[in-house]
Amino acid sequence: MPTRPERYPANRVFAMLAAAFALLFIFVVVVLAVDQERVRQSSERLQQQTVPKIIRFQRLARNLDQLRQEGELVFSSDTPEGRQQSLYLVMLVASHPSILEHPQAAAAARDTEAFLSETGRLAERDPAMLKLQRAEWQQFSKRLNLLVDDILVEGANLATADLEDVAAAMRLTRFKLMGATVLLGGFLLLLMILLKRHLLRPLEKIDRALSSLSVDRPAPEFPDVRLAEIHAVEEAAKRLHDVMVSNDAARRELQLLANRDDLTGLMNRRHFMESATTELRRAQRYGRPTAVALGDLDFFKSLNDTYGHGAGDAVLRSFAELLTESLRQSDLVCRYGGEEFAFLFPESTVGQAHILVERFREHCAAQEILLPDGLLVRVTLSIGLADASNCPIEVALQRADLALYEAKRLGRNRVIVAAEAG
Amino acid sequence: MPAFRSLLVVAAMFSGALQAADLRVAVVVQDVAQVSPQGNLVASSTPAADLVAFTDELAREICRRIRSRCAFSYVTFGEILPGVEDGRFDLGFGNFLRAPKREKRVAFSEPIFRSASRLVGSPATARAFAGKLGQAVNLDNLRGARVAAMEGSQQQAFLDTVAAERELTVVATATTAGAFDALRNGSADFALLPIRTGYALISHDKSRRFGFVGPAVADHGLGDTVHIILPRQKEALRRSLNQAIADIRADGTGHRIMRRHFPVNLD
Repeated sequence: MPTRPERYPANRVFAMLAAAFALLFIFVVVVLAVDQERVRQSSERLQQQTVPKIIRFQRLARNLDQLRQEGELVFSSDTPEGRQQSLYLVMLVASHPSILEHPQAAAAARDTEAFLSETGRLAERDPAMLKLQRAEWQQFSKRLNLLVDDILVEGANLATADLEDVAAAMRLTRFKLMGATVLLGGFLLLLMILLKRHLLRPLEKIDRALSSLSVDRPAPEFPDVRLAEIHAVEEAAKRLHDVMVSNDAARRELQLLANRDDLTGLMNRRHFMESATTELRRAQRYGRPTAVALGDLDFFKSLNDTYGHGAGDAVLRSFAELLTESLRQSDLVCRYGGEEFAFLFPESTVGQAHILVERFREHCAAQEILLPDGLLVRVTLSIGLADASNCPIEVALQRADLALYEAKRLGRNRVIVAAEAG
Repeated sequence: MPAFRSLLVVAAMFSGALQAADLRVAVVVQDVAQVSPQGNLVASSTPAADLVAFTDELAREICRRIRSRCAFSYVTFGEILPGVEDGRFDLGFGNFLRAPKREKRVAFSEPIFRSASRLVGSPATARAFAGKLGQAVNLDNLRGARVAAMEGSQQQAFLDTVAAERELTVVATATTAGAFDALRNGSADFALLPIRTGYALISHDKSRRFGFVGPAVADHGLGDTVHIILPRQKEALRRSLNQAIADIRADGTGHRIMRRHFPVNLD
């Protein structure tokens, strides 16, 4: 027993895909949000901590430089008062919190202040001491200068580290964004492939199958599908084909019933006239020969009167079978009424048709027919033959009827060809 | 139309109220002599006049920036914080160091500059105490001395906490000039002063007898950022004040004011 393939409802499948996409999207958003938060924190740290710290470093450097400049003024002042004022400023600058909180700067400032205070004290006694102290001051000045440079570099490095951190976070974010784009793109591609494979392609096949659905063709065949709804539509298409075939069979049956004579199974007169008219038009359009004939069983009324209507019916059925067996497939024949039969011979001249009907007449006359009561009878046939190549079917039959009348008049069981005119 | 005119009048009144509120501003003086009997500032030629002029100009610039009409009162340091706390003053320009006890009483603006404290005294006194202590004098090893400090200041608060242990006598004065006077008249051995005030006093002292003693100190609540104070409940005023401080710092006005009154620009 073949395993029945598992099928899934489309709404559930699409709901799951939508949920998967939503989860993926949320994941991507969360990942990016984490990075964005990192960038935000780095920027905030840069703005709120690092930049103020850099500013503090710059101010410290400026204050140290101010200290150095005031130290220079201690040596360059011409008056003791000027030296003292510069010394006060040295003390003020050296006391600033920005210098006190930086250990190296504090030590340098303390040493500088002590040296300059001592210099001031010595210079008060002997101004010439300034010159002696100058060389040593150059060392202090140089130390302050180097410290200023170091502090400026240190401050700049703070910004560099933070900016590198931000840049690294941005780089990581860019990579993640690219990854997320690829991931989402891949998911969408997968979604499109699934849609194509499980929805669009089956629908195209169903469309093609429905477009070419016909009773002349076998029922459509579909490969296995996973979506329950698609499978249902395919099954519906198959059922539709079955119904069409069934309806066509019924239509054919009805058509047969409408076009045949109940007793003999031959065409009825209406159908014969339709078919003959069509055939005659075709033949006349292409200039092809056609002949028509009317046949009538001889003494059929006597047979009915003698053996009963059941015998008459049996004779008619046997005669019809004989006709069917004897005539060509392309020839049309119908029960024209009572014991009268009409014929149409396509692609046949009157001469060719004459040979054919004469042979049949002889065959009929020689044939014994078994009646229901077991008796055997023979029947003969009178036939009027006419050319139909250049006239409507009604006219041709009228001529054939006249020829039939002539055949009856001349003694029956014979074929008479109608004259061309009249 | 009369109704429309009335509406305009009311709107103008409200906008004026919002943009030009009357503020009572207290500005610290370093010496009572810096205030005239009419209450005006007469700072020139008095001790630490530059410091008072700097504070006054800063206060006026802040008022202009917050688009307020300010009524200035020139008072001693000790009057400002209680006045702001009681609501008698809306802004207090006293160069206040931030301290937890103060924060319970008043609100603080963003910093306007930074300060530290340092002993001021004569070299002779310093040498004498160094002899007794066996080492150079500084705030951490000072013992058995009379130390002057401004009343209500962080310097006085610090001295009060260590006075008993170090056998220090705290000489509280109403102003920094008073503390310096205590040095001059011999009622104090040292004064513990904010560095700018100390600088302003010793650099203008013609006797040139005094100078800084020992290193500056920024811990023990004696140094750090300096602020303007205001009533705690006036949050909107505090925001306007902070914005004004940021603006004058950003456009360089603050530095220019400082350079007009001090030979160096320290912040």
